[in-house]
Amino acid sequence: MSQTQTQTLWWASESFWKKMAVWITAGSAVVLIFLTFDTVKQITAGGKRVPAYSVINNRIDYVFDEKRNHQVPVIGPEEPLFGKKLTEEEAMALVSKGKLTTQAKNCMNCHTLLGNGSYYAPDLTKSWLDPTWGTKQLREQQMVDFLMNPQDYLYNSLGRRMPNLGITEEEARATVAFLKWMSSIDTNGFPRNFKPIDQTDPAPDAAPAAPADAAAAPVQQ
Amino acid sequence: MIVEPVHLANFFTVFFSAASVILFGALYALLFAWSRVRGRPRLMAMAYAAYLGLAASVVTLGYAANLFNSGFWTFIVLLMLVGYLFAPHAIWHLCVGTHAEEDEMVKISQPR
Amino acid sequence: MAALGTLSSANLNGGQKLAVKFFTVAIALFGAQVLFGMLAGIQYLKPDFLFGILDFSVNRMLHINALVVWLLFGFIGAVYWILEDESGTPVVGLGLGNLMFWVFTLAVVVVVLVYLLVQTGPGELKSIWLINEGREYIEAPRWADIGIVVCVLIFFYNVAATFMKGRFTGIGGVLVFDLVALAGLYLAGMWYTPNISMDQHWWWWVIHLWVEATWEVLVGCLLAYGLIKTMGVRRKIVETWLYIEVALLFGSGILGLGHHYFWIGTPEYWLAIGGFFSALEPIPLVAMVVHAVFDAGHHKMKSANHPALAWMIAQAFGNFFGAGVWGFMHTLPQINIYTHGTQWTASHGHLAFFGAYATIVIAFIYLAVQKWRGNVWMSGNMAGAWRWKWAMFLLHAGMIGMTMALLIAGYEQSHIERAIGGSTWMAYFEAQAGPWFQQAMTWRMISGWSFAAGFVLLAWDLMTIGKRETRPAQLPAAEAAAA
Repeated sequence: MSQTQTQTLWWASESFWKKMAVWITAGSAVVLIFLTFDTVKQITAGGKRVPAYSVINNRIDYVFDEKRNHQVPVIGPEEPLFGKKLTEEEAMALVSKGKLTTQAKNCMNCHTLLGNGSYYAPDLTKSWLDPTWGTKQLREQQMVDFLMNPQDYLYNSLGRRMPNLGITEEEARATVAFLKWMSSIDTNGFPRNFKPIDQTDPAPDAAPAAPADAAAAPVQQ
Repeated sequence: MIVEPVHLANFFTVFFSAASVILFGALYALLFAWSRVRGRPRLMAMAYAAYLGLAASVVTLGYAANLFNSGFWTFIVLLMLVGYLFAPHAIWHLCVGTHAEEDEMVKISQPR
Repeated sequence: MAALGTLSSANLNGGQKLAVKFFTVAIALFGAQVLFGMLAGIQYLKPDFLFGILDFSVNRMLHINALVVWLLFGFIGAVYWILEDESGTPVVGLGLGNLMFWVFTLAVVVVVLVYLLVQTGPGELKSIWLINEGREYIEAPRWADIGIVVCVLIFFYNVAATFMKGRFTGIGGVLVFDLVALAGLYLAGMWYTPNISMDQHWWWWVIHLWVEATWEVLVGCLLAYGLIKTMGVRRKIVETWLYIEVALLFGSGILGLGHHYFWIGTPEYWLAIGGFFSALEPIPLVAMVVHAVFDAGHHKMKSANHPALAWMIAQAFGNFFGAGVWGFMHTLPQINIYTHGTQWTASHGHLAFFGAYATIVIAFIYLAVQKWRGNVWMSGNMAGAWRWKWAMFLLHAGMIGMTMALLIAGYEQSHIERAIGGSTWMAYFEAQAGPWFQQAMTWRMISGWSFAAGFVLLAWDLMTIGKRETRPAQLPAAEAAAA
């Protein structure tokens, strides 16, 4: 590189790359903004991917879809949360209260939500559908009881427990509503191979529901 | 846009080949640049051997991660094969071009 | 003029006097990060440790918040450090900058105290405003968010006004533009929505675009300045390469946002965009490798500050392995569906943050200490050189050990919890209880002790290096050539 060149090649010049840096950055930003408009539209609650909050009035299932090659949330027959059907406004207020609770109690620094957060406790994306709750009849109350006194329940052989975060009954119910609503979000099949709780209706003459699988039910200390 | 998740048996292959893609890519770039800087053609032969390793890793990754099942993901594999081959060449030209007037006696003022 | 080897602010210009304050707080927060990381690590092995007093969630939040803030303080310090030299004029509004430093530091102290003493609040908006926002990395309550934006704006004013008054160099231009993006993007994380998909969509704008775009470019600016100063590379060439780097980093990084939009409710086209830009990610790394070899062949490297040079070399390797290799291993959606939200992410996060960012801040602090002591000798045959070398060794051994352990834990999790168990709670705990996972956590803890020992040694070294040194610094290549 000892010979002196007085003219820099245009594609190696400072001014060319300065323009390239500006144009590439601006171009990427413009594409991102356009995509953002579409994405925000698609993930606004009430759409196909992210259902309206009143979806908590219905059964939510997670069923394999051949065409998309993964499980998708399926909104089923009416099954109001805590037996009370809510309007869209009431549902939104309840879910919002639950979301605020998850933020104020710092859930995300132990759990993951939609796979993001911390890894000290289970993912909550489909926790509403988790077989741990035993049966669908027991589920709602079990979740509320657990959230209010989690230190009394041991779900594992590790001795890892959730601390008591002073969650009130109102907050616990709202959190369950939030979790139920979150389980209805179309996450492109995440988590995969999930085995949801049995939500089929028992035959009318069947015996009162009891945990089908003792091992799956929480062990009270 | 179909995504066929990796089969359990292929997990290790995916992680290993993906890591190899980056490691061989860097090795290729390193040997390539070194050969040019020092003017040693034997290093260039080793650089292309590293590229062969890179290409093998990309193809292995493609099979293990089921990338050949769809047109889009096959395109990504081809893009990697071609792009990673030419990237060091392009960057090298840029190095030569940008440093061309290095020995010129134009002193950029550097006030303290 | 103070004697050589004595810490004296007479050795520093105005911006640098402010910079060393930021560096001091940065190192203290680095210590806090290590401490709370250790507590959280112990809780993986002994779940009853501090249960109900300082729960995992609190330790983990402090661990990652200390990380973000110490790196931010390090970056701000580094920019003030180069500002007067780069612009050729004293910092405009330095008094305001000083005020900002104290306000920012005080705010950090208050936030940490609230995290420790109040911890959680009722499920109401006021908890988000006053206690904790409960969103990973940006947990700082809303009042602190507003404070951070005001502080960054003052910082921006200092930088922009100084460059405008003095020389507006290419590095200055990129820096000013980058700081606009840095401040602007933070706003995307500052509003409440009940919609978790919307929440995480904007949350990634802050996390990804900060860490993988604006921070990278900021480091590029600092390295560009370092190249001119220490290796005597011509400014025009360095700045051309800074633009090339901006083009490559923003070109692959901005839409690289897509690889965070696979599973949070966002549309399917992000799978394709994320996959495409993941394949582009290695290109900036290839560029750095080729250009580094090219430069090494054309410039004789002669460093007047061995620890700083060693940490800059560590940055190149750390960035390559942490961001490059560890990132690419699990970035394709075909595998990411099983690794997303497991210790895989933790493994990648540890190595990438340390490799790409912690290293460069440490390098800058070594440069600062040298000048602070009157530009003392920091090349070969330094008294007590074992300290910086052992600190570096222990920190790296600890980091590599933690990364490997977390990788093994994540691998086991992706198998047992994700692929086989289908991510139910039972499957989660089955994986957590597995022998591979448990042993990995033990090794992570052992490595953590190594890292903590390295930190103590590093802090000790930064306080004492060059103290009894009487030789002036070796001339850097640039000045040696000019002399």
